[in-house]
Order: sequence, then structure tokens, then C-alpha cells
Amino acid sequence: MADSELKSLHAGLLSSVSKADYTAASRTLSVLKLALLERNALIPSSSTPVPTLLLAREILEIGALTSIHQTDDAAFSRYYSQLQPFYEDGRLTAKSPSPHRSKIIGLHLLLLLSKNDIADFHTTLENLEAPEEDPFIKHPIMLERWLMEGSYDKVWNATKGTQVPSEEFALFSQVLVGTIRNEIATCSEKAYASLPVSNAKNLLFLDSDGAVIQFAKEKGWEVRDGRVYFPVEESEKEALASGTIIENTIGYAHELETIV
Amino acid sequence: MVDKSSLRSNKRSDSKDAKKGTDSKQPAKASSRKTTVKKSPSGSTGEMEEDKQLDNGAEDVDMNDDTQDSATTATLEKPEAANKAGGDGDVEMDDGKTTRDGGEDKKDEAKEDPAIAAINEIKDNFNLLERAVTLFDARFTLRVLRTISSLRRRLTPEILARIVRDTYPADHTSVRRLEAVIGYDGAMEVDGVEATAKESPSGTVLPEVDIYIHLLTQIYLLDQKSLEAGARFSTELVETIHSLNRRTLDSLAAKAYFYYARFHELLPSPAVTSIRPQLLASLRTATLRKDVDTQANIITLLLRNYLLTSHITQADHLVSKTVFPESAANNLIARYQYYLGRIRAIQLDYTAAHNELIGAIRKAPQTAAAAGFVQAANKLNIIVELLMGDIPERSVFREPRLEKALRAYFLLVQAVRIGELDAFFDTLNTHAETFKKDGTYSLILRLRQNVIKTGIRMMSLSYSKISLRDICVRLRLDSEESAEYIVAKAIRDGVIEATLNHEKGYMQSKEMLDVYATQEPQEAFHERIMFCMSLHNDSVKAMRFPMNQHRLELKNAQEARERERELAKEIQDGEIDDDDAGGEFEGL
Repeated sequence: MADSELKSLHAGLLSSVSKADYTAASRTLSVLKLALLERNALIPSSSTPVPTLLLAREILEIGALTSIHQTDDAAFSRYYSQLQPFYEDGRLTAKSPSPHRSKIIGLHLLLLLSKNDIADFHTTLENLEAPEEDPFIKHPIMLERWLMEGSYDKVWNATKGTQVPSEEFALFSQVLVGTIRNEIATCSEKAYASLPVSNAKNLLFLDSDGAVIQFAKEKGWEVRDGRVYFPVEESEKEALASGTIIENTIGYAHELETIV
Repeated sequence: MVDKSSLRSNKRSDSKDAKKGTDSKQPAKASSRKTTVKKSPSGSTGEMEEDKQLDNGAEDVDMNDDTQDSATTATLEKPEAANKAGGDGDVEMDDGKTTRDGGEDKKDEAKEDPAIAAINEIKDNFNLLERAVTLFDARFTLRVLRTISSLRRRLTPEILARIVRDTYPADHTSVRRLEAVIGYDGAMEVDGVEATAKESPSGTVLPEVDIYIHLLTQIYLLDQKSLEAGARFSTELVETIHSLNRRTLDSLAAKAYFYYARFHELLPSPAVTSIRPQLLASLRTATLRKDVDTQANIITLLLRNYLLTSHITQADHLVSKTVFPESAANNLIARYQYYLGRIRAIQLDYTAAHNELIGAIRKAPQTAAAAGFVQAANKLNIIVELLMGDIPERSVFREPRLEKALRAYFLLVQAVRIGELDAFFDTLNTHAETFKKDGTYSLILRLRQNVIKTGIRMMSLSYSKISLRDICVRLRLDSEESAEYIVAKAIRDGVIEATLNHEKGYMQSKEMLDVYATQEPQEAFHERIMFCMSLHNDSVKAMRFPMNQHRLELKNAQEARERERELAKEIQDGEIDDDDAGGEFEGL
């Protein structure tokens, strides 16, 4: 494939992204990736010229953003892994640091958060320098912090349209709201004996009383006289867990026997 | 560490094997430096003594590291593989062997000039290395490595140049390389008498001796802070080592890799990552050759390398794909556990992290040289304990060698214990630099929720009923709404036993349960018993069982059986005389 063809494809990709035509963009992307592969530019190596690698990086970044728009998490993770060596390559970063880097990383963090993969989340975070100074990265960090301490109202506010740093981040809001609603539901079960429906609506960030009743049904809660009653936890504690006691004692006897 | 048992069995048979070993392994033995053992009149008993001493010494560990490298790096420095204690003594004692020609003269001179003493010591070490090769016994090599820390302080370019000149034939490839980095070519005639002709090297040089000299040069370069040169030199050295396949070289090689990694780590950024391929290749080779020393050393070096650039995922992959040799030196295990603890802490697996760190702290050498390591491990351990919801014991902060280093952490623990967010952030901000330097900053940030939880817990214990507004004010939360959610989460997570009343906006604590009515005491008791059991089992495992001891017992048993048979036979024979003896028996 000639250079000019690559250029034209790239231009086509940019135009379809700007028109938000992501299906067309992903078609162009697969052709472009093949072309990059021929040039040995999908993985940065010292033999490939820097401009080609910069182009490759840009194409992969567009691909990552496109896959977010198409809500294709797996594809995004693949693009993210492919981009890693580009971000670590000292030559490229020195020449022109990627403008989209923090955005991509922020999205990756958000994706991990929405999957509740906190361990990976922190591992990724450990790699970053001064993560709190970047708006794109700060967003998922704050979300994680609020989620962990339980300030769900703040998470709710942050997922609203105006608070997110870019449009791609808003796409995760739906998932996150679902997550926090479930969290709140389990917390409420334990914390309250009963709640008025209207209060439950506010607590769960639902739109109407009807939605509350629907939600309560899904959870198996009882709705009576305009109040939501949470199932009372039956005390399951046995008087004696004889099984474990026997097991332990036999264990001690066995150990003692080996000593004596 | 070298496999002691195999060594010992070697030892037993080495008198027989010695000759064989010389033929097959060591054609280069025809070096001019011949050895005469002056002391230890009866060779065998001497050997036995050595054996015993070494066994005792092996328990002690030495942090031969760059303690002079200032406090910052000292914290990062990890204990070294060499065992020191009990070493210097026996070198003096039963290796008081000198070169055949003019040994007495040299001894006299040694008293006068430290340089010559150092040279002689190094040359003695050559003898030890030769012996290690001929007897195929790594203990001699370990003994050589133990002297490094004392030699290190005395190394000068003159000594090194002199050693190089005396050891290698002029056309040897190493000579130019060594002389280039030592940067000393002035003829050394200070000692005059010491005619080079006598010692003039001929023939080939043992690879062990060759690597040993390189190792000394490496250390010298590190002390001189000539990092660039050191890195280049070490790279070449490591390549050489990689191509050699000699078991007697293992412990020397492991050392060389250590300094190789250290040089590159001190250089600006791309150098750190650039050594990974070489280390990985060497790790593979070492694993294939069952070279435990190098293997253990390189795994820890790689982990350290990955963690320096915060490549946690890669480090985790390395851990899951490799098996850390169980027979590695204690210090290496301590290091490995520390790194593992770090990885696990970042991955939020606090229980595993805690276990590893406790192991690292316990295994770490108790000498002053290892203080940096112990401090680093304790710092991390404190944070992990806090994250687990425990409060570290106060005695940790009172230990003299930890007290000063842990000052910031002490304040932090106090803040978390009281559950004061303000105090927590105050400490965090004032000591941010310290925490960042220790690499614990991001972990500490995670503590915020623990502080809040402790705060709520304190409040639930003190008040039977408290309004959400008061909770909000006391914890300095932003809104009552947040407070409600946070308390609800605390209830769900089992931090407190309470209920919320949304309409009236208060939290009502439940009656305190009697702990002794639950399973808890029993579980705690069980845990302690298990701990004692495993401690006992580990101690049994850690004991040394002399090789072939059971054969001795078998032999004894055999003898006993034989005696019994004889006795039986005698009794049988005696039965004839039974009548005669009968009277006596009755008397008994």
C-alpha cells in the first residue's frame, strides 16, 4: 500500500469520526491496521521511522475512542494494550507527547471501575505520575474514592452530563449508575427497617414512585402503605458449629501425635 | 544458597574425587601459583572444623551493601547474598597459606603496607577459588565472597592494577578491558622487592579468578561513582558470564549480576529498562542449569527493576511464571518477600501482602547494615495493617533503629486510630514528600475511607443515638446525604451495628453483643493454635539433619541386631551350662 493511500484512508477515518459515523470508522480502521502491520508499525521498533509510528499511535487512539462509542469494551482493552508500548517509548514521547494519552488512560480506568476490577485499577494508577493533576484521570480516581467510602450522591452528581471531562466518559454513566443503585440497595437492606417510597425514590436516584415499586419487586422487597419494608434478616447463627469444632480438635490431636 | 547437603557429601568423597576433578575439570591447574597448606597438620580434622564453622556461619547474614550510599538509597538497598559472620576468622586460621616463594617476606611487608596486605588477601582468595574448582566445592567460593566487604574499603586503583598485572599473561583479553576502566597504568614499584618475574603469570587464568577480579573492579567502580563506565564494564562482564557454564562460578556470577543491575539502576531512565532482556535471558539459562544462586538473585533483581518503573503487572506475571528457589539464601528470600508484599499491597490483596511483609521483616538480618531494609519493610507493613483495619503495635515505633524513620508513619497511625480526617490530611500533606519517596503515597491515599470508618465506629460506640447532621459535622463531610450513604455502607460492611432512620435523620446503635457468647473467642483460639503448630512444623523443617545420619543409625541398628544374635547364640550355647549357672540366677 502506498503512502498516499494510507494518508487518504487516515483522512477518511478522521472525517467519519468527526461525523460520528463509527461503523464506517471501524471499517476503515481494520484496513488501516493491516497497512500499519505491513509497515511494521503496530509495535514500535527502532527500525520503523518515527513519523510512521506517530501516525500509528494516532490511528490506534482513534480506534480506542471509536470502540468506546460502539460500547465494545473488549476492543477498547485491545487498543489500550496496543497503545502501551507507544506511550512507553521514550523516542515518541520526547518528540511529541500524545494529546490523547490521559484521556485513553482515564477511560481505561473508568472501564476497570465499571467492571469492579479495583486491583487492576490501582495497578494502572501506580504507573502514573501525579495522576490527580490531570482532569481526565482525576475523574475516575475521585469516582473510585467516593464509591469506596460510600458517597454515592457525589458519584451520582459526577456522572451527570456536565460533570464529565469528555463525551466518551458520559457513556459509562449508565453502567455506573446501575452499580451504585445496586450498592445503595444492599446498604439500605441492612441499614433501614423501612422507608417511605418517596424517600426511597430519592435515595436510589429513581425517577418516579412507580420505578421504586418496580425496583423493589426485582429486589424482593415488600411495599405496603406507601412504605418499603426490607426483609428482616433471620438470625442464622447456630448455637454451636459442632462440625468445625470436631474438625479442629481432630486436627490438634493429629498435630500432637506427630510431635509426640 | 548452595545445597549444603550435596556439598557435604562431596566433601566426604572429595579426597577420592580430587584427582578426578583435577583431570577433567581443570587443565589450567598448571598455574605457577602453587599452594602449600601450612597449618592444619592433619587435613581431615581441619576440614571437619571448617565444615562446622561454616554451618554456624551460614545462619548469619550480612548486608554487604552500599551502606555508604546515603540514607535514601540505603532504604532501598537489600541484604546481600553473602554470608559473612564467622568467615574472616577461618580464612586467617586455616588458610594461612602463602605462595611458596618468599612467603615470610611477604608477611612482614603485609604489616607495613595495607595495600600489600590487600593484595595478599586477594591472592589468597585466588587460592581458595582454585581449591573450590578442584574440589568442586562452592563453600570456598562463598568464603571468598565474604571477604569482599572488608576488601572493599581498601580497594585502590594501584591494588587492582597490580593484581591484573600479576595474574594475567600480558596478551590476555581481560587485561586491556580491566586496565581501561581502572585507569591506572603507572608502574607500581613501591614494593620494589616483589619481583614480578617470580609471580609472572603463565598459561591460562581460571575463569573463576578472572570473574573475581572483574567483580572487585565492579565494586571499585561503584564506590568511585563512575557509573557510566561501570555499566559498560558490567554489561561486558555479564555477557562473558552468560557464555560460561561452570557450576563453580554460580555464586560469583550472582554477585556480578547484582552490581550489573545496580549500575544501571543508578543511571538515568532508559538504562533501567534496557537490562531486562539480558536479565530474563540469564534467568532462563540459570533455571535450566539449576543455578540456584543466580536464579534467586536475578528474580529479585527483575522484581526490583519492574517495581522501580512501577510495572506492577509485569512483576506480577514474573512472579506467577517463575518458581523462586526454596533453597535460596535467607536474605534473598527476605527481599523476594518484600517485593511480593509490595505487589500484593498495590493489588489490594492486603492479607497476602501482610504475610509476605511479616516474613520479610522476620527473615531480614538483624545487623545494623540491614536497617534500611527493615525500615522499608516496616513502613509498608504499617500501611498494609492500617488498610486491613488493624492498628500496628506501638512497640514497632519504639525500636531504636526504626523510631526516627517511622516518625511520619507514627503520626499517620495516630490520625487513623482516632478517626480524625483533618489530622490525617495534615499528616499526609506535611509528610507528602517522605511518603512519595518511600513509594507509599498512593497506598496512603486509600486510607481515607478507613479513617472515615474508624470515625463512624468511634461515634457509634460513644452514642446510642446521633443525628446525621452531627456525624456530618464531626467527620467534616460535605453533606448530610453523603453522611447517610456512608453510614449505610458502614453498616453493610459490618463496621458498626446500627440502624438508620431516614425520616428523622438519626443513627441508632444496636446493643453491644457479648463477644464471649459468639464463636469469636474460639476462632481466635484456633488461630493461635494453628500459628503455634505451623511455627513448630517450620522449626522442625528448618533444623539441620546431618547427611547420611540415618545410615549411621541403620548401621548401629545392624550392629545391635548382630550383638543380639550373638547374645542369643551365647545363651543358646549357654543353655548347656544352664544347670551350672542355675544356682547363681536364683541368687539374683
